[in-house]
Amino acid sequence: MRRLWALAHNTFREAVRDRVLYSILFFAIGVIVLSLALQEITVGDRDKVVRSVALGSIAAFGSIISMFLGISLVWKEVERKTVYTILSKPISRWMFVLGKYLGMMMTLVVQVAVMVLVYTLLLTAQQTFPPLVVYVSALMLVAELMLLTSWATLFSTYSAPTTAAAFTLAVFLIGHLADDIWLYGSALENPGAQQIAKVLYWVLPNFELFNIRSHAVHELPIPWDQVVGSLAYGTCYTAAVLGLAMVVFERRDLK
Amino acid sequence: MTPALRIHQLGKTYRVGFFMRRVEGLKALDLEVQAGEAFGFIGPNGAGKTTTIKILMGLHAATTGTAEIFGVPVTEAQSRARVGFLPERPYFYEHLSAREVLHFYGQLFEMDPELRNPRVEMLLERVKLEHFADVTLAKYSKGMLQRVGLCQALLHDPDLIVLDEPMSGLDPVGRALVRDLILEQREAGKTVFFSSHILSDVEAICDRVAILVDGELRESGKLADVIADRESLEAVLVGEMTKAVDEDRLGVL
Repeated sequence: MRRLWALAHNTFREAVRDRVLYSILFFAIGVIVLSLALQEITVGDRDKVVRSVALGSIAAFGSIISMFLGISLVWKEVERKTVYTILSKPISRWMFVLGKYLGMMMTLVVQVAVMVLVYTLLLTAQQTFPPLVVYVSALMLVAELMLLTSWATLFSTYSAPTTAAAFTLAVFLIGHLADDIWLYGSALENPGAQQIAKVLYWVLPNFELFNIRSHAVHELPIPWDQVVGSLAYGTCYTAAVLGLAMVVFERRDLK
Repeated sequence: MTPALRIHQLGKTYRVGFFMRRVEGLKALDLEVQAGEAFGFIGPNGAGKTTTIKILMGLHAATTGTAEIFGVPVTEAQSRARVGFLPERPYFYEHLSAREVLHFYGQLFEMDPELRNPRVEMLLERVKLEHFADVTLAKYSKGMLQRVGLCQALLHDPDLIVLDEPMSGLDPVGRALVRDLILEQREAGKTVFFSSHILSDVEAICDRVAILVDGELRESGKLADVIADRESLEAVLVGEMTKAVDEDRLGVL
Protein backbone atom coordinates (compact mmCIF):
# COMPACT_ATOMS: atom_id res chain seq x y z
CA MET A 1 0.00 0.00 0.00
CA ARG A 2 2.86 2.38 0.86
CA ARG A 3 4.50 1.58 -2.48
CA LEU A 4 1.28 2.29 -4.33
CA TRP A 5 0.93 5.59 -2.49
CA ALA A 6 4.56 6.52 -3.30
CA LEU A 7 3.96 5.89 -7.02
CA ALA A 8 0.67 7.83 -7.00
CA HIS A 9 2.13 10.72 -5.03
CA ASN A 10 5.12 10.99 -7.36
CA THR A 11 2.82 11.07 -10.42
CA PHE A 12 0.72 13.77 -8.78
CA ARG A 13 3.83 15.76 -7.87
CA GLU A 14 5.14 15.52 -11.43
CA ALA A 15 1.81 16.76 -12.81
CA VAL A 16 1.51 19.72 -10.45
CA ARG A 17 5.04 20.82 -11.35
CA ASP A 18 4.13 20.86 -15.04
CA ARG A 19 3.65 24.43 -16.28
CA VAL A 20 1.50 23.34 -19.23
CA LEU A 21 -1.11 22.05 -16.79
CA TYR A 22 -1.32 25.46 -15.14
CA SER A 23 -1.79 27.11 -18.53
CA ILE A 24 -4.77 24.84 -19.26
CA LEU A 25 -6.20 25.45 -15.78
CA PHE A 26 -5.86 29.23 -16.03
CA PHE A 27 -7.46 29.15 -19.46
CA ALA A 28 -10.34 27.07 -18.06
CA ILE A 29 -10.85 29.52 -15.19
CA GLY A 30 -10.76 32.36 -17.73
CA VAL A 31 -13.55 30.75 -19.77
CA ILE A 32 -15.63 30.11 -16.62
CA VAL A 33 -15.30 33.77 -15.63
CA LEU A 34 -16.01 34.82 -19.22
CA SER A 35 -19.42 33.14 -19.00
CA LEU A 36 -20.48 36.23 -17.04
CA ALA A 37 -20.00 38.31 -20.15
CA LEU A 38 -22.30 36.01 -22.14
CA GLN A 39 -25.33 36.89 -20.06
CA GLU A 40 -25.07 40.46 -21.31
CA ILE A 41 -25.81 39.31 -24.84
CA THR A 42 -28.42 36.72 -23.86
CA VAL A 43 -32.17 37.01 -24.28
CA GLY A 44 -34.21 35.05 -21.70
CA ASP A 45 -32.91 33.28 -18.63
CA ARG A 46 -29.50 34.90 -18.21
CA ASP A 47 -28.57 32.99 -15.03
CA LYS A 48 -28.96 29.66 -16.76
CA VAL A 49 -26.56 30.72 -19.50
CA VAL A 50 -23.85 31.42 -16.93
CA ARG A 51 -24.47 28.06 -15.24
CA SER A 52 -24.57 26.18 -18.54
CA VAL A 53 -21.40 27.69 -20.04
CA ALA A 54 -19.43 27.42 -16.80
CA LEU A 55 -20.38 23.78 -16.16
CA GLY A 56 -19.75 22.91 -19.81
CA SER A 57 -16.29 24.51 -19.54
CA ILE A 58 -15.43 22.48 -16.45
CA ALA A 59 -16.38 19.27 -18.28
CA ALA A 60 -14.52 20.23 -21.47
CA PHE A 61 -11.31 21.29 -19.73
CA GLY A 62 -11.46 18.31 -17.37
CA SER A 63 -11.55 16.04 -20.43
CA ILE A 64 -8.71 17.95 -22.12
CA ILE A 65 -6.49 17.65 -19.02
CA SER A 66 -7.38 13.97 -18.67
CA MET A 67 -6.41 13.24 -22.29
CA PHE A 68 -3.36 15.51 -22.21
CA LEU A 69 -1.86 13.79 -19.17
CA GLY A 70 -3.22 10.30 -19.72
CA ILE A 71 -1.90 9.66 -23.22
CA SER A 72 1.74 9.79 -22.11
CA LEU A 73 1.27 8.45 -18.59
CA VAL A 74 3.10 5.12 -19.05
CA TRP A 75 4.74 5.76 -22.43
CA LYS A 76 6.80 8.66 -21.11
CA GLU A 77 8.23 6.48 -18.34
CA VAL A 78 9.34 3.86 -20.87
CA GLU A 79 10.70 6.38 -23.38
CA ARG A 80 12.63 8.34 -20.74
CA LYS A 81 13.73 5.06 -19.14
CA THR A 82 12.71 6.27 -15.69
CA VAL A 83 10.80 2.99 -15.47
CA TYR A 84 14.14 1.09 -15.18
CA THR A 85 14.87 2.33 -11.69
CA ILE A 86 11.30 1.64 -10.59
CA LEU A 87 10.59 -1.83 -11.93
CA SER A 88 14.02 -3.01 -10.79
CA LYS A 89 12.69 -2.56 -7.27
CA PRO A 90 10.09 -4.90 -5.75
CA ILE A 91 7.33 -3.22 -7.75
CA SER A 92 5.02 -5.34 -9.91
CA ARG A 93 4.01 -3.97 -13.25
CA TRP A 94 0.33 -3.97 -12.31
CA MET A 95 1.21 -1.88 -9.26
CA PHE A 96 3.16 0.56 -11.43
CA VAL A 97 0.21 1.04 -13.81
CA LEU A 98 -2.24 1.38 -10.92
CA GLY A 99 0.02 3.81 -9.04
CA LYS A 100 0.42 6.00 -12.12
CA TYR A 101 -3.32 5.92 -12.73
CA LEU A 102 -4.18 6.84 -9.13
CA GLY A 103 -1.70 9.73 -9.21
CA MET A 104 -3.32 10.94 -12.39
CA MET A 105 -6.78 10.73 -10.80
CA MET A 106 -5.54 12.71 -7.78
CA THR A 107 -4.42 15.42 -10.21
CA LEU A 108 -7.77 15.43 -12.00
CA VAL A 109 -9.78 15.56 -8.78
CA VAL A 110 -7.76 18.60 -7.65
CA GLN A 111 -8.19 20.27 -11.06
CA VAL A 112 -11.97 19.72 -11.08
CA ALA A 113 -12.17 20.87 -7.45
CA VAL A 114 -10.36 24.13 -8.29
CA MET A 115 -12.69 24.77 -11.25
CA VAL A 116 -15.79 23.98 -9.15
CA LEU A 117 -14.51 26.30 -6.43
CA VAL A 118 -14.16 29.13 -8.96
CA TYR A 119 -17.68 28.33 -10.22
CA THR A 120 -19.06 28.40 -6.65
CA LEU A 121 -17.42 31.74 -5.88
CA LEU A 122 -18.65 33.16 -9.17
CA LEU A 123 -22.24 32.04 -8.71
CA THR A 124 -22.37 32.95 -5.03
CA ALA A 125 -21.21 36.47 -5.89
CA GLN A 126 -23.50 36.84 -8.88
CA GLN A 127 -26.59 34.72 -8.06
CA THR A 128 -26.88 32.40 -5.02
CA PHE A 129 -24.90 29.53 -3.55
CA PRO A 130 -25.26 26.65 -6.05
CA PRO A 131 -27.56 23.76 -5.10
CA LEU A 132 -26.30 20.23 -4.28
CA VAL A 133 -27.09 18.97 -7.80
CA VAL A 134 -24.14 21.02 -9.11
CA TYR A 135 -21.72 19.14 -6.87
CA VAL A 136 -23.26 15.77 -7.72
CA SER A 137 -22.83 16.75 -11.37
CA ALA A 138 -19.13 17.45 -10.65
CA LEU A 139 -18.83 14.04 -8.99
CA MET A 140 -20.31 12.45 -12.11
CA LEU A 141 -17.77 14.34 -14.20
CA VAL A 142 -14.97 12.86 -12.06
CA ALA A 143 -16.45 9.39 -12.72
CA GLU A 144 -16.48 10.14 -16.45
CA LEU A 145 -12.86 11.30 -16.31
CA MET A 146 -11.98 8.18 -14.32
CA LEU A 147 -13.21 6.07 -17.24
CA LEU A 148 -11.69 8.29 -19.94
CA THR A 149 -8.32 8.27 -18.14
CA SER A 150 -8.37 4.47 -17.91
CA TRP A 151 -8.67 4.34 -21.73
CA ALA A 152 -5.84 6.86 -22.13
CA THR A 153 -3.74 4.78 -19.71
CA LEU A 154 -4.45 1.62 -21.71
CA PHE A 155 -3.34 3.27 -24.96
CA SER A 156 -0.26 4.76 -23.31
CA THR A 157 0.97 1.30 -22.26
CA TYR A 158 1.74 0.36 -25.84
CA SER A 159 1.54 3.34 -28.19
CA ALA A 160 3.22 6.70 -28.62
CA PRO A 161 1.38 9.82 -27.36
CA THR A 162 0.19 10.92 -30.84
CA THR A 163 -1.40 7.53 -31.57
CA ALA A 164 -2.73 7.30 -28.02
CA ALA A 165 -4.21 10.80 -28.40
CA ALA A 166 -6.02 9.78 -31.61
CA PHE A 167 -7.38 6.60 -29.99
CA THR A 168 -8.44 8.37 -26.79
CA LEU A 169 -10.13 11.16 -28.72
CA ALA A 170 -11.98 8.54 -30.79
CA VAL A 171 -13.16 6.78 -27.62
CA PHE A 172 -14.19 10.14 -26.15
CA LEU A 173 -16.25 11.09 -29.21
CA ILE A 174 -17.80 7.65 -29.70
CA GLY A 175 -18.55 7.49 -25.97
CA HIS A 176 -20.57 10.68 -26.25
CA LEU A 177 -22.46 9.34 -29.26
CA ALA A 178 -23.18 5.90 -27.79
CA ASP A 179 -26.92 6.55 -27.53
CA ASP A 180 -26.98 7.45 -31.23
CA ILE A 181 -25.33 4.13 -32.08
CA TRP A 182 -28.23 2.40 -30.34
CA LEU A 183 -30.86 4.59 -32.02
CA TYR A 184 -29.45 4.30 -35.54
CA GLY A 185 -28.76 0.59 -35.03
CA SER A 186 -32.38 -0.05 -34.06
CA ALA A 187 -33.56 1.76 -37.18
CA LEU A 188 -31.48 -0.45 -39.49
CA GLU A 189 -33.32 -3.08 -41.52
CA ASN A 190 -30.49 -5.61 -41.75
CA PRO A 191 -30.63 -7.82 -38.59
CA GLY A 192 -26.86 -8.46 -38.80
CA ALA A 193 -26.08 -4.74 -38.82
CA GLN A 194 -28.53 -4.29 -35.96
CA GLN A 195 -26.64 -6.88 -33.91
CA ILE A 196 -23.30 -5.22 -34.67
CA ALA A 197 -24.68 -1.86 -33.53
CA LYS A 198 -25.95 -3.44 -30.31
CA VAL A 199 -22.59 -5.13 -29.61
CA LEU A 200 -20.79 -1.82 -30.23
CA TYR A 201 -23.19 -0.05 -27.88
CA TRP A 202 -22.52 -2.51 -25.06
CA VAL A 203 -18.76 -2.75 -25.61
CA LEU A 204 -17.94 0.94 -26.06
CA PRO A 205 -18.20 3.31 -23.10
CA ASN A 206 -21.24 5.52 -22.74
CA PHE A 207 -20.08 8.84 -21.34
CA GLU A 208 -23.52 10.41 -21.60
CA LEU A 209 -24.63 8.27 -18.64
CA PHE A 210 -22.51 10.58 -16.47
CA ASN A 211 -24.02 13.74 -17.85
CA ILE A 212 -26.49 15.32 -15.45
CA ARG A 213 -25.41 18.85 -16.26
CA SER A 214 -28.88 19.78 -17.56
CA HIS A 215 -30.22 18.95 -14.07
CA ALA A 216 -27.58 21.23 -12.56
CA VAL A 217 -28.27 24.06 -15.03
CA HIS A 218 -32.06 23.91 -14.54
CA GLU A 219 -31.69 23.14 -10.83
CA LEU A 220 -33.82 20.00 -11.10
CA PRO A 221 -33.94 17.26 -8.43
CA ILE A 222 -30.96 14.92 -8.38
CA PRO A 223 -31.66 11.76 -10.48
CA TRP A 224 -30.31 9.36 -7.83
CA ASP A 225 -31.09 6.22 -9.86
CA GLN A 226 -28.94 7.47 -12.72
CA VAL A 227 -26.21 8.65 -10.34
CA VAL A 228 -25.90 5.34 -8.48
CA GLY A 229 -26.19 3.23 -11.65
CA SER A 230 -23.66 5.32 -13.56
CA LEU A 231 -21.14 5.32 -10.73
CA ALA A 232 -21.37 1.53 -10.50
CA TYR A 233 -21.06 1.25 -14.30
CA GLY A 234 -18.08 3.64 -14.34
CA THR A 235 -16.29 1.78 -11.54
CA CYS A 236 -16.72 -1.67 -13.15
CA TYR A 237 -15.84 -0.46 -16.65
CA THR A 238 -12.76 1.42 -15.37
CA ALA A 239 -11.58 -1.66 -13.47
CA ALA A 240 -11.92 -3.75 -16.65
CA VAL A 241 -9.99 -1.27 -18.84
CA LEU A 242 -7.28 -0.81 -16.21
CA GLY A 243 -7.01 -4.60 -15.88
CA LEU A 244 -6.46 -4.80 -19.63
CA ALA A 245 -3.82 -2.04 -19.41
CA MET A 246 -2.00 -4.06 -16.73
CA VAL A 247 -2.07 -7.22 -18.86
CA VAL A 248 -0.74 -5.33 -21.91
CA PHE A 249 2.05 -3.68 -19.90
CA GLU A 250 2.93 -6.98 -18.19
CA ARG A 251 3.78 -8.50 -21.58
CA ARG A 252 5.97 -5.65 -22.82
CA ASP A 253 9.74 -5.89 -23.08
CA LEU A 254 11.09 -2.52 -22.02
CA LYS A 255 13.71 -1.45 -24.53
CA MET B 1 24.04 -21.83 0.75
CA THR B 2 21.65 -20.33 -1.82
CA PRO B 3 23.61 -18.56 -4.55
CA ALA B 4 23.02 -14.85 -5.03
CA LEU B 5 22.29 -15.50 -8.71
CA ARG B 6 21.39 -18.71 -10.45
CA ILE B 7 20.87 -18.59 -14.21
CA HIS B 8 19.86 -21.78 -16.02
CA GLN B 9 19.61 -22.17 -19.80
CA LEU B 10 18.52 -18.55 -20.10
CA GLY B 11 17.68 -17.50 -23.64
CA LYS B 12 16.15 -14.47 -25.32
CA THR B 13 14.95 -14.30 -28.91
CA TYR B 14 13.88 -11.02 -30.46
CA ARG B 15 11.73 -10.52 -33.54
CA VAL B 16 13.07 -7.73 -35.72
CA GLY B 17 12.16 -6.05 -38.98
CA PHE B 18 9.10 -6.20 -41.17
CA PHE B 19 9.31 -9.98 -41.60
CA MET B 20 9.83 -10.50 -37.86
CA ARG B 21 13.20 -12.17 -38.33
CA ARG B 22 14.36 -14.11 -35.26
CA VAL B 23 17.51 -12.84 -33.59
CA GLU B 24 18.97 -14.70 -30.64
CA GLY B 25 20.15 -12.15 -28.10
CA LEU B 26 21.05 -14.74 -25.52
CA LYS B 27 21.72 -18.45 -25.98
CA ALA B 28 21.17 -20.95 -23.14
CA LEU B 29 23.21 -19.07 -20.55
CA ASP B 30 24.22 -21.00 -17.40
CA LEU B 31 25.78 -19.03 -14.59
CA GLU B 32 25.99 -19.02 -10.81
CA VAL B 33 27.22 -16.17 -8.64
CA GLN B 34 27.85 -16.99 -5.00
CA ALA B 35 26.96 -14.61 -2.19
CA GLY B 36 29.84 -12.29 -1.30
CA GLU B 37 31.51 -12.49 -4.72
CA ALA B 38 32.45 -9.62 -7.01
CA PHE B 39 31.55 -10.94 -10.44
CA GLY B 40 32.51 -9.28 -13.72
CA PHE B 41 30.29 -9.85 -16.75
CA ILE B 42 32.22 -8.84 -19.83
CA GLY B 43 31.85 -8.93 -23.57
CA PRO B 44 31.75 -6.70 -26.64
CA ASN B 45 28.76 -4.53 -27.58
CA GLY B 46 25.73 -6.63 -28.46
CA ALA B 47 27.07 -9.66 -26.58
CA GLY B 48 23.90 -9.98 -24.47
CA LYS B 49 25.14 -8.50 -21.18
CA THR B 50 22.44 -5.87 -20.90
CA THR B 51 19.80 -8.34 -22.08
CA THR B 52 20.78 -10.70 -19.25
CA ILE B 53 20.69 -7.88 -16.71
CA LYS B 54 17.30 -6.69 -18.01
CA ILE B 55 15.87 -10.20 -17.60
CA LEU B 56 17.26 -10.34 -14.05
CA MET B 57 15.68 -6.97 -13.26
CA GLY B 58 12.26 -7.90 -14.67
CA LEU B 59 12.50 -5.47 -17.59
CA HIS B 60 12.55 -8.24 -20.23
CA ALA B 61 10.94 -11.66 -20.21
CA ALA B 62 13.19 -14.62 -21.00
CA THR B 63 12.22 -16.75 -24.00
CA THR B 64 13.70 -19.90 -22.42
CA GLY B 65 15.28 -20.93 -19.15
CA THR B 66 15.06 -19.61 -15.62
CA ALA B 67 16.86 -17.19 -13.34
CA GLU B 68 16.72 -16.77 -9.58
CA ILE B 69 17.96 -14.15 -7.16
CA PHE B 70 18.64 -15.60 -3.71
CA GLY B 71 16.37 -18.51 -4.68
CA VAL B 72 13.41 -16.36 -5.80
CA PRO B 73 12.48 -16.52 -9.52
CA VAL B 74 13.09 -13.20 -11.28
CA THR B 75 9.53 -13.29 -12.63
CA GLU B 76 8.43 -12.35 -9.09
CA ALA B 77 8.82 -8.69 -8.10
CA GLN B 78 9.87 -9.80 -4.62
CA SER B 79 13.10 -11.25 -6.07
CA ARG B 80 14.34 -7.65 -6.32
CA ALA B 81 13.77 -6.78 -2.64
CA ARG B 82 17.44 -7.44 -1.80
CA VAL B 83 18.86 -6.00 -5.03
CA GLY B 84 20.28 -2.59 -5.84
CA PHE B 85 20.44 -1.86 -9.57
CA LEU B 86 22.27 0.83 -11.50
CA PRO B 87 21.27 0.84 -15.19
CA GLU B 88 23.62 1.95 -17.93
CA ARG B 89 22.99 5.71 -18.22
CA PRO B 90 20.44 6.08 -15.41
CA TYR B 91 17.45 8.33 -16.06
CA PHE B 92 15.50 9.96 -13.28
CA TYR B 93 12.53 12.23 -12.82
CA GLU B 94 13.92 15.60 -13.76
CA HIS B 95 11.34 17.50 -11.74
CA LEU B 96 12.74 16.05 -8.51
CA SER B 97 15.87 16.95 -6.59
CA ALA B 98 18.43 14.28 -5.63
CA ARG B 99 17.10 14.24 -2.08
CA GLU B 100 13.48 13.92 -3.24
CA VAL B 101 14.25 11.15 -5.71
CA LEU B 102 16.14 9.14 -3.09
CA HIS B 103 13.27 9.47 -0.62
CA PHE B 104 10.88 8.35 -3.34
CA TYR B 105 12.97 5.24 -4.05
CA GLY B 106 13.25 4.60 -0.32
CA GLN B 107 9.45 4.59 -0.13
CA LEU B 108 9.35 2.00 -2.91
CA PHE B 109 11.44 -0.22 -0.63
CA GLU B 110 9.04 0.60 2.22
CA MET B 111 11.89 2.06 4.27
CA ASP B 112 10.69 3.85 7.40
CA PRO B 113 11.58 7.57 7.61
CA GLU B 114 13.77 6.96 10.70
CA LEU B 115 15.93 4.63 8.63
CA ARG B 116 15.57 6.46 5.32
CA ASN B 117 16.51 10.00 6.40
CA PRO B 118 20.00 9.27 7.77
CA ARG B 119 20.70 6.80 4.95
CA VAL B 120 19.85 9.36 2.24
CA GLU B 121 22.02 12.02 3.89
CA MET B 122 24.92 9.61 4.39
CA LEU B 123 24.87 8.51 0.74
CA LEU B 124 24.59 12.06 -0.62
CA GLU B 125 27.61 12.97 1.44
CA ARG B 126 29.48 9.83 0.38
CA VAL B 127 29.13 10.72 -3.33
CA LYS B 128 29.79 14.40 -2.62
CA LEU B 129 26.37 15.67 -3.68
CA GLU B 130 25.26 17.09 -0.34
CA HIS B 131 25.59 20.68 -1.60
CA PHE B 132 23.44 19.95 -4.67
CA ALA B 133 20.88 17.77 -2.91
CA ASP B 134 18.02 20.23 -3.42
CA VAL B 135 18.80 21.12 -7.03
CA THR B 136 16.45 19.49 -9.55
CA LEU B 137 18.01 16.64 -11.51
CA ALA B 138 17.33 18.45 -14.81
CA LYS B 139 20.36 20.58 -13.95
CA TYR B 140 22.71 17.68 -13.18
CA SER B 141 25.63 16.60 -15.36
CA LYS B 142 25.98 13.00 -16.52
CA GLY B 143 28.55 12.22 -13.86
CA MET B 144 26.34 13.65 -11.13
CA LEU B 145 23.38 11.57 -12.35
CA GLN B 146 25.57 8.47 -12.23
CA ARG B 147 26.35 9.27 -8.60
CA VAL B 148 22.63 9.66 -7.84
CA GLY B 149 22.21 6.30 -9.57
CA LEU B 150 24.73 4.72 -7.24
CA CYS B 151 22.97 6.24 -4.22
CA GLN B 152 19.62 4.76 -5.24
CA ALA B 153 21.25 1.38 -5.86
CA LEU B 154 22.79 1.33 -2.36
CA LEU B 155 19.89 3.04 -0.57
CA HIS B 156 18.36 0.01 1.17
CA ASP B 157 21.74 -1.62 1.88
CA PRO B 158 21.11 -4.46 -0.61
CA ASP B 159 22.80 -7.86 -0.48
CA LEU B 160 23.24 -7.97 -4.26
CA ILE B 161 24.34 -4.97 -6.31
CA VAL B 162 23.85 -5.18 -10.08
CA LEU B 163 25.66 -2.54 -12.10
CA ASP B 164 25.37 -2.20 -15.87
CA GLU B 165 28.43 -0.36 -17.22
CA PRO B 166 28.82 1.75 -14.07
CA MET B 167 31.98 3.51 -15.31
CA SER B 168 30.64 4.33 -18.75
CA GLY B 169 31.22 7.97 -19.70
CA LEU B 170 32.68 9.00 -16.35
CA ASP B 171 35.75 11.16 -15.89
CA PRO B 172 38.72 9.68 -13.97
CA VAL B 173 37.53 11.17 -10.66
CA GLY B 174 34.05 9.72 -11.16
CA ARG B 175 35.51 6.33 -12.09
CA ALA B 176 37.68 6.27 -8.99
CA LEU B 177 34.66 7.13 -6.83
CA VAL B 178 32.57 4.35 -8.36
CA ARG B 179 35.44 1.86 -8.08
CA ASP B 180 35.95 2.73 -4.40
CA LEU B 181 32.24 2.32 -3.71
CA ILE B 182 32.20 -1.10 -5.37
CA LEU B 183 35.26 -2.19 -3.40
CA GLU B 184 33.66 -0.95 -0.17
CA GLN B 185 30.60 -3.06 -0.91
CA ARG B 186 32.70 -6.11 -1.67
CA GLU B 187 34.60 -5.68 1.58
CA ALA B 188 31.29 -5.36 3.44
CA GLY B 189 30.46 -8.88 2.18
CA LYS B 190 27.95 -7.81 -0.47
CA THR B 191 27.62 -9.55 -3.81
CA VAL B 192 28.53 -7.34 -6.75
CA PHE B 193 27.57 -8.31 -10.30
CA PHE B 194 28.62 -5.86 -12.93
CA SER B 195 29.16 -5.54 -16.63
CA SER B 196 31.90 -3.32 -17.95
CA HIS B 197 33.94 -2.47 -20.99
CA ILE B 198 36.75 -1.14 -18.86
CA LEU B 199 38.68 -4.34 -18.30
CA SER B 200 41.31 -2.82 -16.01
CA ASP B 201 38.50 -2.06 -13.55
CA VAL B 202 37.17 -5.60 -13.83
CA GLU B 203 40.66 -6.96 -13.11
CA ALA B 204 41.01 -4.66 -10.10
CA ILE B 205 37.64 -5.48 -8.59
CA CYS B 206 36.44 -8.97 -9.53
CA ASP B 207 36.96 -12.39 -8.01
CA ARG B 208 35.37 -14.19 -10.93
CA VAL B 209 34.41 -13.24 -14.48
CA ALA B 210 32.25 -14.53 -17.31
CA ILE B 211 32.87 -13.70 -20.97
CA LEU B 212 29.89 -13.42 -23.25
CA VAL B 213 30.21 -13.17 -27.05
CA ASP B 214 27.24 -13.18 -29.45
CA GLY B 215 24.87 -14.17 -26.67
CA GLU B 216 26.95 -17.21 -25.78
CA LEU B 217 28.98 -17.86 -22.65
CA ARG B 218 32.58 -18.41 -23.81
CA GLU B 219 34.47 -18.59 -20.54
CA SER B 220 33.68 -18.38 -16.86
CA GLY B 221 35.71 -18.83 -13.71
CA LYS B 222 38.21 -17.25 -11.34
CA LEU B 223 39.97 -14.28 -12.85
CA ALA B 224 43.42 -15.91 -12.65
CA ASP B 225 42.13 -19.16 -14.21
CA VAL B 226 40.42 -17.31 -17.07
CA ILE B 227 43.53 -15.26 -17.86
CA ALA B 228 45.78 -18.34 -17.34
CA ASP B 229 48.91 -17.97 -19.46
CA ARG B 230 47.61 -15.09 -21.53
CA GLU B 231 48.74 -11.51 -21.18
CA SER B 232 45.58 -9.92 -19.76
CA LEU B 233 41.82 -10.09 -19.65
CA GLU B 234 41.74 -7.97 -22.78
CA ALA B 235 43.78 -10.61 -24.64
CA VAL B 236 41.31 -13.28 -23.50
CA LEU B 237 38.33 -11.21 -24.68
CA VAL B 238 39.88 -10.40 -28.05
CA GLY B 239 40.79 -14.07 -28.49
CA GLU B 240 37.20 -15.16 -27.80
CA MET B 241 35.81 -12.56 -30.20
CA THR B 242 38.18 -13.73 -32.95
CA LYS B 243 37.19 -17.35 -32.29
CA ALA B 244 33.50 -16.41 -32.56
CA VAL B 245 34.09 -14.72 -35.93
CA ASP B 246 36.03 -17.76 -37.21
CA GLU B 247 33.23 -20.10 -36.07
CA ASP B 248 30.69 -17.93 -37.87
CA ARG B 249 32.72 -18.13 -41.07
CA LEU B 250 32.99 -21.92 -40.78
CA GLY B 251 29.25 -22.06 -40.25
CA VAL B 252 28.67 -20.11 -43.46
CA LEU B 253 31.02 -22.38 -45.42
